[in-house]
Order: sequence, then C-alpha cells, then structure tokens
Amino acid sequence: MKIKINGREQEVSVTDLSIAGLLKIAKVESAEMVSVQLNGCFVDKADTDKTFVKDSDEVDFLYFMGGGV
Amino acid sequence: MKNLNFITKILHTKFLKEDPHGSLHMPVYDNVTFEFKTAEDLELAFAGKKPAHMYSRISNPTVEHFEQRIRAVTDARGVIALSSGMAAISNTILTIAKTGDNIITSKHLFGNTYSLFEQTLKDWGLEARYADLTNAKETLKLIDERTRAIFLETITNPQLEVVDIQALSEAAKSKGVLVIADTTMTPPYVFSAKEFGVDIEVISSTKWISGGATSIGGVIIDHGLYDWNRNPKLKRDVVKYGPFAFINRLRREVYRNIGACMSPHNAYLQSLGLETLPLRVEASCANTFKIAEFLNKPGQVKSVNHPGLKDSPYYETARRQFADKPGAVLTFDLGSKEQCFKFMNGLKLIRKATNLHDNRTLILHPASTIFCEYDDETKLQMGIKDTMIRLSVGIEDSGDLIADIEQSLGRVR
Repeated sequence: MKIKINGREQEVSVTDLSIAGLLKIAKVESAEMVSVQLNGCFVDKADTDKTFVKDSDEVDFLYFMGGGV
Repeated sequence: MKNLNFITKILHTKFLKEDPHGSLHMPVYDNVTFEFKTAEDLELAFAGKKPAHMYSRISNPTVEHFEQRIRAVTDARGVIALSSGMAAISNTILTIAKTGDNIITSKHLFGNTYSLFEQTLKDWGLEARYADLTNAKETLKLIDERTRAIFLETITNPQLEVVDIQALSEAAKSKGVLVIADTTMTPPYVFSAKEFGVDIEVISSTKWISGGATSIGGVIIDHGLYDWNRNPKLKRDVVKYGPFAFINRLRREVYRNIGACMSPHNAYLQSLGLETLPLRVEASCANTFKIAEFLNKPGQVKSVNHPGLKDSPYYETARRQFADKPGAVLTFDLGSKEQCFKFMNGLKLIRKATNLHDNRTLILHPASTIFCEYDDETKLQMGIKDTMIRLSVGIEDSGDLIADIEQSLGRVR
C-alpha cells in the first residue's frame, strides 16, 4: 500500500500495519516523544497498537520539543 | 518498574538522547545553535517533524531535560521552562487572551502579578476582574463570553489565603473557563494540581525548585485537562495540533517571539535543585510549624497567620490540598511599623531579603517593600498591613531560628 509519511509518499509492503508497527519500520527517531497524526487526527498514545493504517492514509510524526509529547 | 515516587522519578529521568560520554548529569549545552546534516533535515525540524533542537531561544537539551523531569512527576501534556516566574505568567496570558478579553482573579496576589494585570496588560486591553476566589459562586457571576481564565495562587503571597481549588475548578469547568494556578508556594511534590482540576500551572521555580535561590526561573505546565476548542484565540491551533494547541502556540509563537527562555546554565542549576526539593520542603515545613507554634503562644506577637495552624480559617482546605505541607511562609503582626523594623533590625541570624524558599530564613516587611508602589487604600484591599512581617522559613536548625526570634522580640516588648 502507499501511504504519505510527513508529506512524502512511501510504499509499504506490510499488511495489517498498526501505528506502533509503523513507528518501528519507519525507524522514527525518539519514538517515545513523537505525537502521531493519522489523516489529521491525533492518535492517542494508548491506541497506537490498535490503530491501523490503510492505503492512501496520511501519517505525520510531530515533535513538540522540550517537555511536550 | 512502575509507580516510582517523586524523588526517584526526578533522579532517574532518562535523557532523550544518550550522552556520548555517559554523563550522569545532563551537561550544560551553553550553545546557541545546532547543526544539521542536510537541508531536508533542517526543513523537517522547522516543521516539527524531526526531534531536534534548532536554536536555544526556542529549545535546548539542558533546558529540555529540566522540563522532562517536571513532566515526569506531573504527568503533564507539556512543560515549558522560562526565564522567570513572571515570564511564565505573562507568556501564559499572552497565549490565551487578546485585547477585549478578561481574566478573573483576586486582589490577594503577589504584588508584581497584580502590577502585570493592573498596569502592563491593562494597557494592552486585557481586563482583570477581581473576586473573592474563596467564594466560587460569587466568582462565577463575573464570567462572561470574553472571560478566558480564572487565575489563582494556591497560597496567596503574603496574605496566605487558601482557595478551595477543587470547588473553584469545578465551577469554572461548568462555564468552560480555564483555571490557571500559580503554585510557587506549593510546587509539585507538595500539591498535585492536576488532581484538583487545575488546567495550567505556573511556577516561579526561582523559589523552592531552584535549590535554595540559586537562579531565576519559571515553569508553565499544561496538564492536558482543558478543551482548547473553548478558547477562540486557539481555535486554528486546535485544528492543526489538537490537544497540543496551547503548548504548540506557546513554543512556536509566544515563547519564541517574546524570548523569555530559561538559560541552559539556570536549567542545570534548577535541575539539580529538583533533586533535593522533597528534602528541603520537608525541612522547611517542619521548621515553619515549630516557629508558628512558638509565635502563637500568648504574649509573643499580636497575631500569627499560617494555613497550617488549626485556628487558621484555611486549615481544613490547606490540609485537604497540601496535607502536612501547607507552605513554609508565615506572617505575624506586631504593634506598628516601627516595632516591625526594630524587630527585624534586632535579628542576628535571619536575613533581611526579598525572596521565598531560600535555604536560609528570610524576613521582609511587605508594605514597605514588595507593595511599596501601592497607596494605603489599595494595600488595604490587597490585605497588606503596616504591622505585618513575612517570614520565609529555611532549612536551618529550628532551635537556632526560634532563639533568634525570641531574643529580638525581647528587645521590642
């Protein structure tokens, strides 16, 4: 499937990919500090393993540096 | 391990990035700027899509570690460290309000905070409405569609008034109004602001947190309780940043543009201060009780004010909110201003200085110092009397402090 990560389209071969899984395969830096937006909506930290991405989704990894996650 | 206690969490807050030399303390990154390998990385960092520091006025590793330590013990959504407690208050208000808006507060406030509301921000069109915040019902009557916050001090300085914060925050929430609490006198470890419904906590970390007046600093804590959709100024931020609307607007606009950042060196000192905060709070509070009990004996002084005394009107509320740590400041009254000055001048150990929560015990005559800019009528409304002395109790031996007070009182009587 094709998904947009931080505005760049990328091909992902994994199926049933959760946000938690995407954080790993995309090798997201300081993953414990990142806030994830899926199609413009924030994903609660507690829900990253039960929220799944699908074809054409847009995912943004955001950092509020300095004490904000 | 889970559910670590305050001091353990502070001491073992992990660095976000491993130190290349294995330093146990976060080093002082006393630099201005940070280099990127590629232009693309720089672009991502500016867009907030790469975890990186760009410029120390906006964020810095040493300052960030101090912020992270506070976040670890408050379970906050976000924490920002600033150059002073007054910067924490002004940056917060400038983020949530604009010309024509109002905030509700009390005249029983730290003098500089009152001056900020009544002079500095008033000139920019912000109205401060004054209420008796101990009366939630009356306070609610002042709220209208332009009210952006209720601002309170957990223990007012130097009136030592204690608001029922849960009652006030529940009342504020019924109207969708933000609650900002200045917790300088009861910082995290003493008071769990989030549990009592405080949305934004502001602290002068110069006081207790800094480790005994080592440096000037301030902190803003967003506890993540408020729905920022309720604030018209932050609506566009909510669309883009959801629950991070306030902290992002602050970091990327108000804090960045005002420039009141904490210096890395101060962050280092304040981070060290946090490590011993519980020990110093316990020592100062215990000393305060002993001195208050001594002064409260018949014939010592005209009256003693401390929320930890059973005859204080705020005893029950203080007990509920701060347990056995209702601050380390007390005030007492003598017969006149002249008697106050004579008493202060007769002290051999206690220092005459304006600050709170130094490791040393400090004494001040509020009416002639931190409230000197106000006329008698305003002082009266603010609860400031010419006969009042403020004592900020340190961590010295309580017997030595009481002996000093006793010998100087003997000269006044």
